[in-house]
Formats: sequence, C-alpha cells, structure tokens
Amino acid sequence: MSLFYIKITQKNTPHVWSFRVGVNRIVTVIQQYLAMTNTMLKPFSSAIVLILCALLIVSGCANMPDPADREAVADYMQVNDPLEPTNRNVFSINQGIDKGLLKPAAEFYRDMVPATARLGISNALNNLRTPVILLNNLLQGDLDRSVATLARFLVNSTVGMLGIADVAAELGVPPHSEDFGQTLAVWGIPSGPYLMLPFFGPSNPRDTVGLVVDVLTDPLNMWMSNTDRTELALSRAGVNVISQRELNLELLNEVEKSSLDFYAAIRSLYRQRRAHEISNGVVLDQADVDENIDFPKVSDIDG
Amino acid sequence: MIKRIGVVGAIIGLVAVSGMNFGVHAADLEADSRQFIQKVADQAIESLTSNDASKSERVSRFRTLFKESFAVKSIGKFVLGRYWRGASEDEKTEYLALFEDLMVISYVDRFSNYAGEALSLKDARKENETNVTVFSEIKRPGGANPIRVNWRVGTNGTIYKILDVVVEGTSMSTTLRSDFSSIVRQKNGKVAGLIEELKKKTASLEAETQN
Repeated sequence: MSLFYIKITQKNTPHVWSFRVGVNRIVTVIQQYLAMTNTMLKPFSSAIVLILCALLIVSGCANMPDPADREAVADYMQVNDPLEPTNRNVFSINQGIDKGLLKPAAEFYRDMVPATARLGISNALNNLRTPVILLNNLLQGDLDRSVATLARFLVNSTVGMLGIADVAAELGVPPHSEDFGQTLAVWGIPSGPYLMLPFFGPSNPRDTVGLVVDVLTDPLNMWMSNTDRTELALSRAGVNVISQRELNLELLNEVEKSSLDFYAAIRSLYRQRRAHEISNGVVLDQADVDENIDFPKVSDIDG
Repeated sequence: MIKRIGVVGAIIGLVAVSGMNFGVHAADLEADSRQFIQKVADQAIESLTSNDASKSERVSRFRTLFKESFAVKSIGKFVLGRYWRGASEDEKTEYLALFEDLMVISYVDRFSNYAGEALSLKDARKENETNVTVFSEIKRPGGANPIRVNWRVGTNGTIYKILDVVVEGTSMSTTLRSDFSSIVRQKNGKVAGLIEELKKKTASLEAETQN
C-alpha cells in the first residue's frame, strides 16, 4: 500500500515573475523529497501502518482520576483529553516531521522569497479559499460576512491581481476565516475530546469532520481531481502548509521556548483560537466563558 | 421629630452623594485604565527599544516595568489554580518568585519585538466593579493585518495593574494555567514538582540569555 504517490512534474516556465519561479522550485523540492521518501518507505509502508496502530492501541486512554476526588474529576472533564497518551505520541511524531521537514522548508522559504512576495502568496492563497469561506458564511446564516467575502473576492481578484494584493482590506473590508468546523460549532455541535491528528496537528472530532468537508467542498479541488490535475492540488496544499508555517515561525518558537509542557500549551492555544474564530472575534467577559473559574483581581499583594 | 428628619435627611444625603460618586468613579475606571495602558506602552518603548543596552540590562529594565505594570502575584495565584490552596507558605513564595522569573525571561524578547511597533489603543469596556478590558491593535510592518491585543486591567482602588493580555483571542494567563496544571497533574498533584520544572526551565532560558 503506498502512502503517497506524486508525479514529479518539472515546470519549465519562462522567468516572468521571480517569486513564481521560486514557488515552483520549492514545490519541486517538496515533491522530490516526498517521492524519495515514498521510494524508501514503500517496502516498509505496511510495517509503518502496523507500528502506528500498535502505538494507538498500546497508549490508549488517559488514567481516569479517582471518582471520589470531585475536583480532580471536574478537572479531567474540563481538560477533555481522554486520549492524552495517544495524542502525546502523535504530537511527538508531528514534532519530528516539523523539525525535520516543515520548519526547515519554512525557513528556506523565508530566506529565499522576499517579504512582499510571501505576502502576495498568502493573499492569493486566501483568495482561493473564498468559495469555502462563502459557503460557510451562508451555512451559518451570516449575510453580512457573506457580502464581505464576495466583495473581497471581486475586488481582490480584479484590482488585486488574482488576489495577490489585498486591496479590499485597505478599503476597510478585512479578511476573516470560516470553515465547516466553525459552521458545525455554530449549529450547536459540541467539539468532542481533543484529538491530535497526524500531520494536521491539533483538532477534535468536530473539526476533523470540518476539515474533510472543506477539502471536498473546495471547487478548485473538485475541478483538479476531475481534470486529472491532482498534483496541482497537492502543490497548492504544499505551498499553503509552508506559507502558514512561515507565518507562525516566531510564535511557535516562543511558545515552545517558554512553556513547561509544550503539548498542554498547544492544546490550550488551539482551543482558545477556535473559540475566538467561532465567535467571530467577539470578546466575551471571562465570567461568561467559564463561571467556575475565579478570575484574578488586583489585590494588595500586587502592590 | 426635626432631629429624626435631620438624621434621615443626612442618611439619604450620604447615600445620594455616595451613589453619585460611584457613578463618576465608574466612568473614570475606563478612562483611567486606558490611560494606564498608554503609560505602560510609552514606558516600554522608552526602556526597551534603545539598542545600546546589553541583553542583561534590557532584562532588568523589563523586570522593573513588568513588576510595576502587571499584577504578578495575583496572576501567579490564578495560574496555579486549584493547587494554590494545597501548597505550603514556602512553596507559595518560591513558586511566585520562579513564576516572575519565567515571565520576565520569556516575555522580554516578545516585548522588545513589539515595543517598537505602533500600539494603537481603541476603546475600553468595563467588565465589573474593578476590571476593565482595553482594546488595542498592533500594526505590523509590511502591510499585513494588525494584531488585536486586549488588556485586562484591574484596580484595587489605588493601584492599576494588568491582569491578562489576550492576543487574537488567546489569553496569556489561561494558557499558562493549562500548561502549569498539566505539569502538576503529571507530578501527582505536587506543587513541589512544578517548582522543579520551573527551576529547570528558568535555568535553561537564562543560559541561553548569556550566549
């Protein structure tokens, strides 16, 4: 069973835009790396699958606290990570992939591609996400944001040269993110326990379903698979991953450096960020978020 | 009877006056909190962005500013969560000292990076009788979208302190709380275990600073 199969296509495009050549080069490098890994791993691929399954079965579920200790039980429920041992293992694997492949690729991308070009690329990629964003705006019944999304797409694709320049933001219509996971949350579906996905990172059952639906409802993906251009879809995904990773280089470095338990810090940050996205940035008073927590007040000890 | 009216009148008068004062005080809370953040931001720019200072000089300046503007002890107590009650007095003292060290060392670079960039204060919103949220934005160079930063400010009547910093929806104290409580859980609920980890972490961060 092959885990990855990617056709290597050498794009010999004329040197019209330097950053486009740069992007092609990065994509080619990634494809070659993956192809190389594929060739090396092919004989071991079934073994790898078996090992992963074994890891999942062996690590299993977190130890439930003593039911008599009500505070510990409440804590356990609030943390909502019954699969913690498995999640931690997957997290280590993801860290390995990150340190070995993604982070160096993102740093290389940062070194080779100038800032304005990188901004252009991320703007263009955001523009390509418009259909998924618009769909989820509509599914959530959010007409204001639907109109904003449409306006952004029209302005940025034309005046903004296929999305490279975020003209709409300068005109006062900033970007926002939407995905099916957020839509499910708005529809009242609870998130479920914390889930660390291989490669994709922190998630939960609801957001995982959202991720799958997002991939399936992306018209660009649909067109590419219909016209036998799957390597283009993977290239786009690859560039997206590298672009996102580059944007988060400092943040993730800082979190790793300053946290005692990097896994727990990421879990907390992921959940807070999702809550922020789902509520569309509405800042709730902390008391509304969780009445059980006694939020700090300034007392005389702080003088 | 006149005396009684007099006393009742005085009481009513006092209540009315204190009510009025309360109203005025509430409006001041938001304006004062906003002013407080502006002052902290100005001080940060002044003390942290001069390039001639050595790394250790910047760390000590940041520590002073941090202690003055943040409610370090109250935040530390909140971050420890339910384990604060079970900790001994010595553990509490040691923990708070290490907590401050960790905060200073891990935030000094972050603040130095951001202190130079334009912090624009938006409005302030009262949360309860003592706490206010001050909304602000940091404009990033290169045209990318600004980062939204919210400051939770509190007062005990005389002093103002920052209780939390929320960057694009992620709260510093909530994240620290999850991080620390995970460590304590792994150490069988012992705060001493957390103190060990804090010592290790601050030692390794300090070693990096020396290089």
